[in-house]
Formats: sequence, structure tokens, C-alpha cells
Amino acid sequence: MTHQGIGEFEQMVLLAVAHLRDEAYAITVVDEIARRTGRSVGRAAVYITLRRLEEKGFLSSWLGEPIPERGGKARRYVKLEAAGARALRDARSAAERMWRGLDPASLRTR
Amino acid sequence: MSAAPTRTPPRVARALLRSLLPGDVRDDVDGDLHELYAKRRAERGAAVAVAWYWLVILSFIMRFTFDRLARALRSLAAGEAAPSVLDIKLGARILAKSPGLSLVGGLGIAVAVALAAAGYAVVNSYFYPDVPLNQGDRLVALTKFDNQARREEERLLYDFLAWRRELRTITDVGAFRTIRRNLVSESGQGEPIALAEMTASGFQAARVPPLRGRALIDADERPGAPAVVVIGYDVWQSRFARDPSIIGRDLRIGRETHTIVGVMPEGFAFPISHQYWVPLRIDPRAVVAPGTGPSLNVFGRLAAGVTRESAEAELRVVTRRLTIGGAPELAALQARVLPYTEVFMHGEVGGSNETMATLRFLVALFLVVVAMNVAVLVYARTVMRTGEIAVRTALGATRTRIVAQLFVEAFVLSGLSALVGLGVVAVGLRMFDAALVGILDGEVPFWMHAGVSFGTVIYTLALAVLAALIVGVIPALRATGAKLRGAMGSLGSGAKAQLGATWTVLIVAQVAITVAVLPPALLKGWEMVQEASRPASFTAGEYLATRFVVESGAEPAAIASENDAAAADTARAIMHRLIARLAVEPGVAAASITTGAPWEGIGATLEADGRVTEAKRAVILNVDTSFFRLFGARMLAGRAFTASDVPLRYVDRPVIVSRSFVTEVLGGGQAVGRRVRYQSLGKDPRPWLTIVGIVEDFPTAIRNASESTKRGARMYQLAMPGELRDALLTIRLRGGGQTPETFMPALRRIATSVDPMLQLSHMSTYDAMYRDYTKGGTQLALVAALVTAVVILLSGAGIHALMSFAVNQRRREIGIRAALGAPASRILKSVLTRATRQLALGLGIGLVVTVAINRVSGGAMMSGTGLLLVPVTVALMLVVGLLAATGPVRRGLRVQPTEALRAE
Repeated sequence: MTHQGIGEFEQMVLLAVAHLRDEAYAITVVDEIARRTGRSVGRAAVYITLRRLEEKGFLSSWLGEPIPERGGKARRYVKLEAAGARALRDARSAAERMWRGLDPASLRTR
Repeated sequence: MSAAPTRTPPRVARALLRSLLPGDVRDDVDGDLHELYAKRRAERGAAVAVAWYWLVILSFIMRFTFDRLARALRSLAAGEAAPSVLDIKLGARILAKSPGLSLVGGLGIAVAVALAAAGYAVVNSYFYPDVPLNQGDRLVALTKFDNQARREEERLLYDFLAWRRELRTITDVGAFRTIRRNLVSESGQGEPIALAEMTASGFQAARVPPLRGRALIDADERPGAPAVVVIGYDVWQSRFARDPSIIGRDLRIGRETHTIVGVMPEGFAFPISHQYWVPLRIDPRAVVAPGTGPSLNVFGRLAAGVTRESAEAELRVVTRRLTIGGAPELAALQARVLPYTEVFMHGEVGGSNETMATLRFLVALFLVVVAMNVAVLVYARTVMRTGEIAVRTALGATRTRIVAQLFVEAFVLSGLSALVGLGVVAVGLRMFDAALVGILDGEVPFWMHAGVSFGTVIYTLALAVLAALIVGVIPALRATGAKLRGAMGSLGSGAKAQLGATWTVLIVAQVAITVAVLPPALLKGWEMVQEASRPASFTAGEYLATRFVVESGAEPAAIASENDAAAADTARAIMHRLIARLAVEPGVAAASITTGAPWEGIGATLEADGRVTEAKRAVILNVDTSFFRLFGARMLAGRAFTASDVPLRYVDRPVIVSRSFVTEVLGGGQAVGRRVRYQSLGKDPRPWLTIVGIVEDFPTAIRNASESTKRGARMYQLAMPGELRDALLTIRLRGGGQTPETFMPALRRIATSVDPMLQLSHMSTYDAMYRDYTKGGTQLALVAALVTAVVILLSGAGIHALMSFAVNQRRREIGIRAALGAPASRILKSVLTRATRQLALGLGIGLVVTVAINRVSGGAMMSGTGLLLVPVTVALMLVVGLLAATGPVRRGLRVQPTEALRAE
């Protein structure tokens, strides 16, 4: 597979899925990102991103049991795939390389 | 266990969500939102939950719609979705297969796209331009608008000083006005130039540093400061041959000598189209109250982070403070902050916004009409491909896939045509730019540069897509609609669509519109082509003419009032001195001052005294006492103007009329002594004017006179130099080695020696002037001819396509009849009878419309003789229609009966 970069929001979604392990589905992913970052997250954006990440092979999904509170619909759970984990590690090391040796004074603005 | 019905989310919202979301996420989203809804409802109550649910649903629909669009575009770009290279190849092959249709349709679309794109480009680059300066969009004009008089108040000196002092939201506040002075050469020749009398802040507002020397500085504005001038690159190059030691040289402008202190870089022409800049000097004593002083344009730059609206709010507060206690009409003026270029565009080159909107609408409408026409052509073909479409559907192609394919086919045509159209536009805009230099006398504002911009390309692309949608998708949707299944049953027998009534209506409408539109289009086109193809000339070569102006030049310029009576007296005196000086010039036979050349003048409606009651149009020209002598025009009766007429008031002076005037306006007979007057628009009648002389129709020296020149009902009124604001000086030379060309420099020297403030412009020979006057219509004639050709072609092709289709519908019938032994002539006749009937109906309706339009327009549309063109058009359409029908019928006759009957 060719190397594919990931965007910041994709990174957050992948990390949320990683944190949530077996409990990761769209609703919990939204909550997890909101809880950890303090940012409000567009729900539709999370679905679109999950779909895209699955198409890229970074995630896989499966359906749980039908639940009455959901009008009889099942939850679609997601899990991190090897490619997803690799993309996350790549993104992290790239960022770390960029940070390495940076003088904190350089970030000070007048 | 099942959820209670009250726990379920709003049904309509849910249905909306399910219908609009992509299938693969529909259930997941539905379930998740259901879960969240139930939770929210338990925590916050039903009302909050329902409101929340609706909001979320709407946001989902929007997000997913965008996502879908983005995906579609991505897949199109990646070439993996519906339309493929194969479709494009197929489209090209189909274009090549029916070259006639492609050519005609393509030409139609190209012309329509060219017109629409040119309209777009012109409107945008001329009326909503980008100002090509550093952050040019932050540059603004400060004005006061008089809502009652519907115009800008231009006397802004008092306001300007206050604005410059007090405004915080606008920086670099400056002002300028354009003045005209003679640039006097070392040999004493004066040549009028336009100068920007501008505050030094103008250069800061423009943010352009000088190429050499310095720009104007505040100290230059002080009364008594040395006279300085900054010149433009073009002037430095053309007049001073890029002299490196230009700084410090002197320039004689009007009565003053200015020192050149700077040269601005190439292309710099701020504030409008200037190449000379002198300081605007303001005498504080002259600034007494708002609404006094000279006309000024005020400009500035929006301060960082300030919007035009907030700047305008501050401007209004400052301005209101100035008018407290002043005249009430001043307080009614509305201070405005406009985009910099806008203030120069209103009523100058363009029209009002409404006019522009109408123009855009008409151009777009034209494209739609042409595209619809092409769509009809394509539809006839698409419907004949119903069988093919049905087979593809049966083989698993979706409707979307087929529509997409037909769209691509159409886009191949419209895209290619649009490309051709864009090429035409690029050439046309260059011509327009060049023409604009002529129209605006070389003073084209620096932000006006037409060209095919990125925006124009995008707009053209959008037009091509629109055309492809109309041409491809509409027929495709109809052809793949509900009737498709029926078509499956009759695959072998060609199209089965039952469209008899529709096609009849289409043919009739097409013919009717053509008959109604063609005669006036042909007439106008022909008139223009005729005028353009006849090079006119003024054979008498010894005449030359020049416009001239005397501008008041009191210094400091800012206090000179525009309507100063003393200045007008000075101007009159200068003109008299010039005429007197020319009278003693050996080479000059005669000189005369008029409002225009003999073929020019202003149209007016006149009423005659006595038996003729109907008001008639005539052309009026103001002339002086030497005018008729100058052109050697013979008086046929009565007398010419004499010096004794001059002391009378302008409205009491006698008039002289041409011979054509006598026959056309007065109805012939004895004319001297009769009276005429201008038709009054108000209640009070205008004063009577007495005719004292009749002059022959002239000038006779014009060869190939245009229609408008020949219409000779002319009336001459006596006006003296000084009474005319903008006048033309005509000089006849004695000959003897002196030609108009050689006399021109001498004339400039004479004028400057009379007074340096006397400015001569547009100096040329009469021959050149007359040619300029007549050549304007050439480009317009080309466009008119092109549009007319497209109309004829499209209507002919449309009729051909419709006839082909109608005959194709009847192929089986024709085949069977042929099989049963009916002679070809009989079959031909039966088919043609129907075609003729449709044509005749269309012609009839078209004729009625033509005559009605002509009536409504008061006969102006076809000016009498044009009506002769109507039968010509009718005959033409009949021939085109019948020829169009014959081809398909002959093809139908060639059909083998066995083939025709195979499907039975």
C-alpha cells in the first residue's frame, strides 16, 4: 500500500477509536474527542471521516446486536487496523521531528 | 420489547434523513441519532429533544450533500466514475457522424457563448474592476450624494478639509481634480494635456513610489511654494526620450513654468488616467462653507481592519457635524464611502445597474434560446436512439449512467464551441480595448483592461455546462423516461415516441419566430454592411478643423469658480483675438466657429407656423456669420447671417434653413419670412424663430454620404464665439503649397501666441474627420451579420431536424405504402402537404407578429422599406422548410418495404 498521510481531524478520530477499544462507535468517538480536547465536534463530520478512514483501510467495522432503544438498529463498532496504527505513529514521529531542538523562545510572539 | 411510539424521533425528519443520506451510512446514522434522541428526551424533555433532532438532521443532510458533491468531483477528476474517456470518444464520433448538425449547433453555441462571455468580461473588468494597486480594494471614494437631485455633490472642498483632519477609519485622505492646460513646447506650440491637481497624499494612498526623483510632498501644497510637476513614465519616454537628467528640467504648462521633480513608474496613472501631477493648492481663506468651491474627487484608504460600512458610519458623523446650523439642503446630502472606481463609472461609460442587469439577462436569455434550439436538434436524434438506450438499460446501465453519457456527448460539442467562443471573445475584447481608447480620447482609466480573466474562463465553462445540460440532459431525461419500457417492445422499428402534436407546435413556433425576427435583423444588418462597405470621404481637402477650449487659470486654482462671469468674458475675448489673428494670416482663406461639422448637429422636433401642423424632426447646427461663406454654400433665397443679427438675443435671432427643410418640414412653398419653433415639452410654447434665408443642401463635397448625412432637413442658428461652450474651429486654406497637415503646427503656435490658456485638441483634416464619423458601424455590422447568419442557420437546421424526425416517425407507413405500390410522387406529396401546412401556419403567425411589432414600434423597426423583406423571408423559410423535408422523405422512400415491415 502506498503511504497515505492523515489530517488533524482524522488523527483525532483514530486516536479516539484507539482509546475506546471495544466501545468505539460514532457516538462514543464524538464524546471522546469532545471530552479530551474540550472542543465541540460536528457529528456528521465524524461519520464522514469514519467512512473515509474505513475506505482507506485504517479502520474496520462490524455490527453489534440490534438494540430496542435505537429503534431496533444495531451499533456499528469500529476498530483500529494495522495501517491506521502505522499512520498514527508516522504522524507522531513526523511532528516530533519537527519539534526536536526548537528553542521555546522562537514561539514567543510580541 | 419495543420502544413506546412517543419515544421515537419526529417521523418526518427521520424520513427526510433516510431519503437523503447515502445507503451505506443510513442505518448507522438513523440508529445512533435514535439512541441520542431517546437519551436527550429522558434528560431534557420532549420539546428540547425534538428541536435538537431537527437541527441535527438538517446539519447531516447538508454535510452529506457536500460530501457527495465532493466525492463526485473527486471521482470525476480521477476518471473512475460514470463518464469515461470512452464517452468522450463516443461524443466526438457522434459529432463527426453528423457533421451538419455538429457544425450548426456548434456555431450557434459558440456565438451565444461568445456574446455571453464578452458581456461578462466587459461588465466585470469595466464596471466591477479590481484596482491594480497594492491592496487596491482598500481604496475608497468619499462622496456626498444628493438624493433629491440623484447626483453626487462635487463641491467637497470644505468637507474634504474636515475629513482629512478628523477621520480615523480612513487614512491617506486626499483629493484631486482634472484640469486641462496647454503644454507649451520650446518652439511655442501649445498642446492640451490633462493634469491631476492632487494632494500629496494621493501618492501615499496609491502606495507607488516614484521611479526617479520624488513624488509630491505636503510642502508643495502651500501657497507660494515653487511650481513643481511629477510626470508619468510614458511622457518621460515619448517626450523626453528617457532623459536620465530629467529631474530639475522645466516644463511650461499654461502660463506657468513648472520644475519636474519626479517620474512615476510605467503603468502608473492614478487617480484615473493621468500622466502629469501638480499639487492641489488650497487657499484656506477661500474655504468658507460646505457646498462651495470647485469640484473635487475625494479618496482615501480604509484603515487596517475597518470595513466600508464602519468607515461610512464615521464619515456620516463627521459630515453631520459640519452642516449643523447650515442650509437644510446641505444636511439632506448623504455622505458615502464607495469602492474607489465606482464614483467614476456612474453615467460615464456604463449605464445604471438596472440597465446592466437587463443586458446580462438578455445575453443569458439568448444563450438559453440558442441552446434550446440545439437541444431540439439533438433531441430529435436522441429520440431516434431510444432503441440503443433501451438495450443499454437492459444490459444493466443505470439511468444516471446513460444521462451522464449523453451529457458528456453534449459537453464535447458545447465545450468545443465554448472554446471557439472564448477565442472570439479574446480577440473581441482586444478590439474593444482599442476602441475604448478612441471613445475615451485616450484617457482610459488605469483599472480598465479587458482580457480573458480566470473568472471569464470559469464563466465560459459554466455556460458550456449549462448548454450541455440543456442540449444533452433534457433530451436524455425525456428519452430515458417512462416511455422507455414501451420502446423495448419495438426495438427494430426505430423511434416510437408519440410526439406528433409537440412537433407540430415546435415547427410552427420555430417558423413563426424566424419570420418575426429575421426581417428586422436582416434590414439592420444590411444597412450596417452597406454603410461600412462604402468608404466615405470629404473631397475638399483644404479644410481643417480643431476643437478648442479656453480654461480659466487663476491661481491658486482651487478658488476659481467654474461659472465665473469674468472668466467667461476673458474666454470670449481670447476667441475673438484668435479669429482676428487668423484673419490676417496669409494662408487662411476663411475661418468659422460652430458647434460641429456641417454633417453633425443635434436632432430636434420643430413646429411650423401656418398650414403645416404636424411636428417634424430636423437637425440643428449653431454657426457664426462666416459659416456659409466658408463652405461656399449658395443661398437659394433670402439672405445669409449678418453682423446686424449678432446684437439680438439668441432666441430672437433669425434662422436659415436648408432646401430639404423647406420640403420636409414646411411642406414646400415660399419659406422666407415663415416662422418655426421648437416643440415644447412643458406647458409654455417656445418662442417663434423667423426664417430669413434658404441655403442649398450641403456640404456637396461628401462622396458616398451616409443615410443620416443625406437626410438634409437642417436648420442653422446664429451663435457667436464665446456663446458656445465646446466649439469647433474650421479653417479653409488658400492652397498654394499650404496643406492642412503643414498648417497644423503653425496653427498651434498662433493659438499659443494669442494666449497660452487657449487649448486646441482633435486637430484633423475634414476628410479624416468625416471618415471617423462614418466608420463606427463596421464592427457592429459584423456582429449583426454574424447573429443574423446564426438565426438563419439555426432555424433552417431546426426545421430540417424536426422534419427528419417527423418523416422518420412515418418511415414504416411510407415503406408499407411503397410496398403496396403507391407511386413515390404521391407519397412525397402526402408528406410534404403536412410539412407545408405546418410551415404555412408558422409563416402566418410570424407575419401577424411582425406587423404587430412594427405597428407598436411606430414603423421605426423597419422604416417602411423593410416591410418588403417580409415576403422575402417568407419565401426563404418556405424553401428552407421544403428542402429540409425533401431529404428525409427521399431517405424514407429508399427504405425497403421488407425492412419497414420486419417488425410486424
